[in-house]
Amino acid sequence: MAVATRTSAPHAVLDHIHPEPESFVRKYVFSIDHKVIGIQYMVVGLIFFVIAGLLAEVIRVQLLHPDGRFLGGEQYNQVYSMHGSAMVWLVIIPLVTGGFGNFIMPLMIGARDVAFPWLNMASFWMFPPAGLLLFGSFLIGAPDAGWTEYPPISLLGPPGTSMWCAAIFLIGISSTLTGINFLVTILKMRAPGMTFTRMPLFVWAQVATAALSMVATTALAGALAALFIERQFGVPFYDPAKGGSPLLWQHMFWFYSHPAVYIMILPAFGIISEVLPTFARKPIFGYKMIAFSSVAIALLGFMVWAHHMFTSGMVPWLQLPFMILTMIVAIPTGVKIFGWVATLWGGSIHFSSAMLFAVGFILTFTLGGITGVYLAAVPVDLHAHGTYFIVAHFHYVLFGGSVFGIFAGLYYWWPKITGRMMNETLGKWHFWAAFISFNCTFLPMHWLGLLGMPRRVAVYDPQFTFWNQFASVSSFVLAASTLLLFYNMANSLARGKKAGPNPWGGRTLEWMISSPPPYYNFKKVPAVLGLPYDFGNPLPYLGLDNPQAEAATPSQTGQPAAAH
Amino acid sequence: MAAVLHGDDHGHGHGGGFVENEVIYQETRDMRLLGFVLFLMSDVVLFSAFIFAYLYLRGTVPVWPPMMNGTQLPRLDVAFAAVNSIVLFGSGVTMHYALENWKHGKRGEFDFWMLSTIVLGTAFLGGQAYEYAHAQIGGWSGSIFGASFFTLTGMHGFHVFVGVVFLAVLWWQTKKGVYDETHHFGLTAGTLYWHFVDVIWVALFYLFYIF
Repeated sequence: MAVATRTSAPHAVLDHIHPEPESFVRKYVFSIDHKVIGIQYMVVGLIFFVIAGLLAEVIRVQLLHPDGRFLGGEQYNQVYSMHGSAMVWLVIIPLVTGGFGNFIMPLMIGARDVAFPWLNMASFWMFPPAGLLLFGSFLIGAPDAGWTEYPPISLLGPPGTSMWCAAIFLIGISSTLTGINFLVTILKMRAPGMTFTRMPLFVWAQVATAALSMVATTALAGALAALFIERQFGVPFYDPAKGGSPLLWQHMFWFYSHPAVYIMILPAFGIISEVLPTFARKPIFGYKMIAFSSVAIALLGFMVWAHHMFTSGMVPWLQLPFMILTMIVAIPTGVKIFGWVATLWGGSIHFSSAMLFAVGFILTFTLGGITGVYLAAVPVDLHAHGTYFIVAHFHYVLFGGSVFGIFAGLYYWWPKITGRMMNETLGKWHFWAAFISFNCTFLPMHWLGLLGMPRRVAVYDPQFTFWNQFASVSSFVLAASTLLLFYNMANSLARGKKAGPNPWGGRTLEWMISSPPPYYNFKKVPAVLGLPYDFGNPLPYLGLDNPQAEAATPSQTGQPAAAH
Repeated sequence: MAAVLHGDDHGHGHGGGFVENEVIYQETRDMRLLGFVLFLMSDVVLFSAFIFAYLYLRGTVPVWPPMMNGTQLPRLDVAFAAVNSIVLFGSGVTMHYALENWKHGKRGEFDFWMLSTIVLGTAFLGGQAYEYAHAQIGGWSGSIFGASFFTLTGMHGFHVFVGVVFLAVLWWQTKKGVYDETHHFGLTAGTLYWHFVDVIWVALFYLFYIF
């Protein structure tokens, strides 16, 4: 019982409890509690999700007719640029790191808060102003060169392009600080006995994500600062007329933005890795492989950025290593997918709403991953680059991947966050409506792209009319299906059933405390004896303050409790 | 509420004994140190991004310094910059002695070395201002040379300026009794930051004046 002796050793920071603030402002507005900050991120992120989603519907309304009767070309350019920017920086990244990362990660490692609560609050409060700045750019002419803002078009773009730079810079600083905060938290504040190979997989995903956002985001900040000063002061970095290089932006932008793809998907992988074992009632298959593959993806993510630039004019001999490295990313990703499928194999599966979204995630993300491997091949990319095939690919990984992951996480942790259950029937309706309409929206884009329909155009060839109308109508259903989620959330808050500490029978530490968790999370910090996923065995925790969970832990003599 | 939270907690918490408070201090300091080092690492990436931009742009022209309006721009004045660099590196040495003396409780020596560091840092900024006024490379927006030189050294200069303010605040804090011989995280962080600024300058000096 070596671990038991460690629990009695002084671990002062872990056992140190601060009193809860009592004023409204310190409790709900400028709170330093990771749980309140996590909820703040989720609320603001979901509001931005609605705005960005409506922008997407504007795009689809425009594409109902080949001659685009809804918007002029200029406004259309602004709308899709803002849809992309908002979804990446204001919705997915803040929700998966700031939202779920903040609320769940410290609970999972048995900590009372993150390492630097004040810094956490500062990170959050950069987020709403960044959103206002970004959407505010519509007032003076929003950026219109796509979310990638390639120069020289972005140098000539409307005045709002500079506001875009400032907004993304701000959200980048916020994301870097959160990365530092989470990395220190996970490295230094785990409960006694929680070694690296006993950490829940969501925490592993957050480690990899935090390292990525810490390193990559500052490179983007540099690129954005250069674009800003070039636009405002005429300092030549990117303008070829003054000796600059537009390709320089593409290198700097993608050096960040490719890792950013993994910042968006790794936490979703983490969510799926928590949901699947809980609802299959089986240990996760290949724990170490799934954990290390997150780190492998994060490392590889830094070596593949130029695959976005095959058609931009790069040295031909450089294409080969970038192509091969990009294809290698499919290996750790495939390891995860096999691990998840093997977890389901022979499990006693319970298809709750969260589980449906997790299984749907595996299907859609795999499809998006496979088209990613196609696109990594230079000859295919030369054909498909800049077409709707790309749009289909990244919506399968970002909507079918990240956003489905966010939905799975919302259904899974909602009872923990709010203390109330959502309506499962409505949740299942939401899943089926979203899953079918998602595929109907984005699947046709594969062949539209291969047949030659370019992305980012306000009008298109009439031969593509049918599938565009099909996609548009499906996208309206997709938007409407999201209303089911919002209604479900509101309904649950108003009159949802009380959840109790552990409605799903989860085994990670956040389920061992009441729902919603008390201010101090754990009255006594428990000791961790093993992996959380060993369904069928007693819980691997000692010293829990919840007597019900305590009953299921092994006693000091190592005898399994009879109640289990 | 507070009583509930503070009781039944192995006796730690506010007003715990000396040993408990010391352990809390050590663990908190370790976390802050790691966080600060990670912050410096992300700052290194920011500089690396601009250094990459500079080298990339430099690779796009046949001659360096590049042409502007039909004539080749002159090289920067390496002699003056070398003297100014020695001032900055000297301040790294004085900062080292400041921290060492503080650890050994020599407050008088600490004051001398700390104030020397602040004076040398300010002198470096003065030297850089002089150089900006006299550099004949066509200004910030004239060419890619001016763009990368003024942006990178300006960013570094801003870091030095922040460092001087940081050190001045630390010195004022020592007068207020914030630190003692063993509890001086702020001084450790300030020293780390100051050495970081020095190291960045080594790279910039080589890349702009010698390379």
